[in-house]
Amino acid sequence: MTKTSSNRIQTIVLVEDETELANEIKAELEAKGHLVRPASIAEAADAARVGDAAVMIMDRIVFGEDSLVTLEALRKEGVKVPVLVISALASVDEKVKGLRAGGDDYLTKPFAMEELVARVDALQRRLDDVRTTKLRVGDLEMDLIEKTVYRGDTRIELLPREFRLMEYFLRHPGRVITRAMLLEEVWQYHFALETNVVDVHISNLRKKIDTKGTPSLIVNIRGAGFMLNANA
Amino acid sequence: MLEFFRSSAVRVALAFVIVTTVATTAVFGLVYFEIREANEVRNRLILEAEAAKSVDRSVDELRTAFEARLTHDLRRIDYAALFDSSHKVMFGNIDKLPAIAVDGKAHYVAATLVPGSDNRREPAIFVARARPDGTIMVLGRSLLESFAFRRIVQAALAAGLAPMLLLALAIGAYFARRASRRLTVIQGAIARIMKGDTQLRLPVGSRHDTIDKISRDVNSMLDEIGRLLVQLKGVGDNIAHDLRSPLAVVHAQLERGLESPNDVQLRESVKQALTHIDKAMLTVTALLRLADVEYGPKSNNFRSIDLSAICTELFEFYEPLATSKSIKMTLETQSPVRIVGDGDLMREAVSNLIGNAIKFTPENGTVSISVSREDGLPLLRVRDTGIGIEPGERDKIFQRFYRTESGHRVPGSGLGLSIAAAIANLHEFDLRFGGNDPGAVFEMVGRRK
Repeated sequence: MTKTSSNRIQTIVLVEDETELANEIKAELEAKGHLVRPASIAEAADAARVGDAAVMIMDRIVFGEDSLVTLEALRKEGVKVPVLVISALASVDEKVKGLRAGGDDYLTKPFAMEELVARVDALQRRLDDVRTTKLRVGDLEMDLIEKTVYRGDTRIELLPREFRLMEYFLRHPGRVITRAMLLEEVWQYHFALETNVVDVHISNLRKKIDTKGTPSLIVNIRGAGFMLNANA
Repeated sequence: MLEFFRSSAVRVALAFVIVTTVATTAVFGLVYFEIREANEVRNRLILEAEAAKSVDRSVDELRTAFEARLTHDLRRIDYAALFDSSHKVMFGNIDKLPAIAVDGKAHYVAATLVPGSDNRREPAIFVARARPDGTIMVLGRSLLESFAFRRIVQAALAAGLAPMLLLALAIGAYFARRASRRLTVIQGAIARIMKGDTQLRLPVGSRHDTIDKISRDVNSMLDEIGRLLVQLKGVGDNIAHDLRSPLAVVHAQLERGLESPNDVQLRESVKQALTHIDKAMLTVTALLRLADVEYGPKSNNFRSIDLSAICTELFEFYEPLATSKSIKMTLETQSPVRIVGDGDLMREAVSNLIGNAIKFTPENGTVSISVSREDGLPLLRVRDTGIGIEPGERDKIFQRFYRTESGHRVPGSGLGLSIAAAIANLHEFDLRFGGNDPGAVFEMVGRRK
């Protein structure tokens, strides 16, 4: 991959009519090293068609126009760019609508910036997703077909839910993963609940996969969530 | 005027007039034709029979009979004459042989000279019949009577129809006027309501007609919209109210941070401010969620779901948390307990109840969840061994933002129970406090329909 094309593909196209929020999102993502281009719905659609967008962030309603209509049209044309839909419409019905129209993730306002950044990272990763049967980080290896996990030569027994939790981390190594993302992706809970429950699940998982005397594979990111240590 | 003809009442009246006219005319016409036909057929038969009967009589007999007929029997036979073989009249009241076939059959002659008159003509039927002696006998009957009958029918039709048309038009116009007057009043009311006079309602009369019915429906719609507006305003007020205190705290913290002499204290203040903002954001999310459940469009994801399965799943989700607090969790299900509902919403409600129970239960306590059917009604019970709820507080726990005295130190939005209650209500379930046994018991039970 040449340098220019790599730069090009890094562009995040942002469709948001609330100027202040748009500026905040832009500043936050740029601070994390992303290139952000604010755009209208039409401009974003064009950018997506020519493959000029790595990720699209779309507000549900932009200047009174429902962006899902355009998104649906893009998906019909076969445009595959990952799309994060952000919206003040919070009901599960609306979320389902957003995802059906072709959104890859749906984030309701108000949200914390860490949450947004984490989700954009996760979406960017999705492009590289290939049909692998084995996931690995360090000496931890997961076989998705055999449903087994090994740390070195030691087999680790995980409960089905713990397996899915581990799988989610392995699919997003080195990325910040928020508690809300885990609730939605691993448990399919689309409502706010006391997130310390997630912490307990993580700490149980750690007890199973970590080896004594070495730093934990899953680290806490203050104020944001967790991260699988990719360099372990 | 154009407006007048657009009124549906006028249109109906006009259609009514047309239909009545056509129907009445048709009836009159039918009656006329039937009578005339019967009359003419009868006359023809009589004439033909008379002519046949008279063929064998002698000329003198005929002469006497004709004279008698023409003087005494005017009602049946108007014309009678005998012509010789050269078509010259021998006697009778016709001068010239009518231009009809001499075949003993009745024929219609449009204009026949009336005998003894000055060129007066009338329609008539004639029969001409050849006799054995070569003479031709002609009998005839005036049709003047049946034509006079037609004129009577026409006059009657005109006399009856004209007033009826006028009456129908007048009634139509009256109704159109009345309807348009009422519509004008309603339009005026709607205009005032749109201008902001939201307490105003459409006038409803005592007639119970369509306009009254629609007015009543519109009024109940306005009532419902008004109710929603008040509720919406309540939600807005709540949000504003509940955001004011965290904002004030954040304000104070940031101010203190700015005045602090060193960076360490500034950072500490900013960090605290952020915590409060996060809390405020949680509250906003919870409030919006509550408003959405209570007043939002009804979920269209209602289907048959298993309450037992939902509780089992949430039990597994929460058990590690309980274990970490050394709380024992038990689950008793009578699988499956099927209800009609939205699985995501039910999960949210049950999760609130279980989360609360764990939150308010001290170490080494127990949280028991049971799902069953009692008297045919689905029942979910969450029981804890916490401090329970004081009798004085039991009515308030379902109110928004209410936190029990003892619960103040436990984090939360104070909206969890409200959201659970709203979701229960949406599913036609009641969420109720089931007493202290020894800690709080919450029950969600289906309503009897």
